[in-house]
Amino acid sequence: MRNLLDFLKKYHHWFLFLLLEVTSGVLLFQYNSYHGSVWLSSANAVVGKIYEWESEALSFFTMSKANEELATRNFYLERQVDQLRRLYAEATADTTEMQRRELEFLSQYQLIPAKVVDNSLNKMENLMTIDKGRVDGVEVDMGVACGNGVVGVVYLVGDHYSVVIPVLNATSSRISCTIRGRGYFGYLHWYGGDPTIAYVEDVPRHAKFKLGEWVVTSGFSSIFPSGVLVGKIEQAYNSSDGLSYKLKVQLSTDFSCVRDVVVISDKSIAERAAMMQAARDSMNVRQR
Amino acid sequence: MEHVERLVMFVVLLVVQMLILNHICLLQVAMPLLYVYFAITFRRGTPMWMILLWNFALGLMLDMISNTPGLAAGCMTLIGFIQPYLLEPLVPRDSAENLKTSAATLGLSKFVTLSAILVSIYCLVFFALESFSFFNWQLWLLRAAGSTLITLVLIFAVESIRSK
Repeated sequence: MRNLLDFLKKYHHWFLFLLLEVTSGVLLFQYNSYHGSVWLSSANAVVGKIYEWESEALSFFTMSKANEELATRNFYLERQVDQLRRLYAEATADTTEMQRRELEFLSQYQLIPAKVVDNSLNKMENLMTIDKGRVDGVEVDMGVACGNGVVGVVYLVGDHYSVVIPVLNATSSRISCTIRGRGYFGYLHWYGGDPTIAYVEDVPRHAKFKLGEWVVTSGFSSIFPSGVLVGKIEQAYNSSDGLSYKLKVQLSTDFSCVRDVVVISDKSIAERAAMMQAARDSMNVRQR
Repeated sequence: MEHVERLVMFVVLLVVQMLILNHICLLQVAMPLLYVYFAITFRRGTPMWMILLWNFALGLMLDMISNTPGLAAGCMTLIGFIQPYLLEPLVPRDSAENLKTSAATLGLSKFVTLSAILVSIYCLVFFALESFSFFNWQLWLLRAAGSTLITLVLIFAVESIRSK
């Protein structure tokens, strides 16, 4: 008995070693069938939680990319909804025709995703800088929109950055817009102060509309395609000369946190603008 | 104090392995297994049962993280068992009974020898057990060699930072 105890004492580390190795072996060969191994694997609550934190942290770094894609996607979808709404109103029974026109409508745009790198709200003439420029295909007078609605118009273009005149520029911003589904149009104007409120001017007196209806871009300006969201009508006033309405609009774009935008490049718009210019020139010649 | 130091090292190596090193696999063969450092650096004269239990615990935790029950635990226990026998002939004569195991106390060449032997044994056994069912000895050697190399580089990097 004494000898046995001595023996155990002398070689106890051998026994411990063998015990642990046998335990490992059992785990290795038994649990690798995956069943019943829940508490010994990453399905275990603690390890799972830590991995969840890790993936959350990692997703934070990939978020800006996702935002950018979402802004572009959102813009596309909104265009599509607008197009469908219009087509539905026209109620053509021919569905293949509808599909064809929808594709045609969407394919004429080229969207350039951009990030706002500088922005102001508190001045009368606010300007915004975006991180895309001539190299990326941005040109002067292109429209800028975000997922929630209209943002502004490109004013200056550098090689890699551009300056945008946002709606919130009291002296220079005039965007042609219309009441959705009604067709009357006017010009969007901002008077400073509250960055969420702007006014649509020159809406004709005979126009019919309801408060709470949406104002969208008209597509008459040579900058934005039709149907880009502007805001919701909050109140209607008479204009100072009494010849038209002035609509108070709650802007759909939150300028205080706009970050991902798209620059809208539309070949047909440029062509229309050139056409318009040519017409003006010829009229000027005739007047002289 | 010794135990606190061990515990800190335990947690740090575990977290580093979990969050960073487990995602690395160079050229699809070399995996950095820095946690072997834990088994290398036990002091001279640490009771065997303590080394074995510490190593087994770290191995088990690593297994939980990487879903390989028993694999790292077995290998860590094995090199934990070998470490004291390997350390004894390498310590300089007349050194303290509880000599720290580091490049500074052993001398660089002896520390390198100790690490290289332990890491290569670890990698050989680890990848042998891992690829148990479809054994391809060329791939096995390649993975063991690659992982040994990258692990040793990491260990020396850590050791040189710690000794400063």
